[in-house]
Amino acid sequence: MNFPPYLLRLRIRNRRRRIRLWLPLFLLWPLAVVLALILTPFMLILAIVFLCRGWGRLLLAGPVIFRCLSALSGLEVDVKRDHERIIVSFC
Amino acid sequence: MSDNQKRILEMLAEGKISVDEAHRLLSLVEPPAEAKDSSSKPRVSKGSPRYLRVVVQPDTGSGRGAERVNVRVPLALIRAGVKLASLIPAHVSDRVNEALREKGINLDLRNIKEADLEQLVDALGELEVDVQGDRGKVHVYVE
Repeated sequence: MNFPPYLLRLRIRNRRRRIRLWLPLFLLWPLAVVLALILTPFMLILAIVFLCRGWGRLLLAGPVIFRCLSALSGLEVDVKRDHERIIVSFC
Repeated sequence: MSDNQKRILEMLAEGKISVDEAHRLLSLVEPPAEAKDSSSKPRVSKGSPRYLRVVVQPDTGSGRGAERVNVRVPLALIRAGVKLASLIPAHVSDRVNEALREKGINLDLRNIKEADLEQLVDALGELEVDVQGDRGKVHVYVE
């Protein structure tokens, strides 16, 4: 089973400055779990109410969203132009 | 060169065997890594691919402002995204498809299935895509 990424690395470089940020995502996930648990009953009710309009399935997409978040590990975007560079990577 | 191959060549040099016999013997003692027909060689498995890499490289004469993009996307994220796209209501996916068509992308989100994606990933495991455009090159491959 994959787990969501624990770190977001951000590097921004241009002529004037260099920024390196390491954002601890592992602090956010417990909060997200608690929030999801609190919202689950409401989401179930909304899903039943909006099922006929086609939104019901999307409102129950919690497991799929968790799967998307877990799959973020390894995502890396590197854009370079002239003397500027931005690197975003999920570890 | 293996000992057997050396011995065969020595026998050929001493005239004990003919050229045809040496050739036949050499083909029998060839190590597995030097198989004659590369297509019949069993493909060494590199493991299942985990990432899709897209590299956009501008031409050297593109001048200032040309961007070099290197994106690595986990295939698990693409699979999960396909799953999420299947949950989008029909009237919303119609609008998304229309917006894509306006951009010149003739794609129907509802037709993308996970099985098709696996076929695409398998195909990309065997080849790489290189597209040379006016302003640069796009290289797509899996790793």
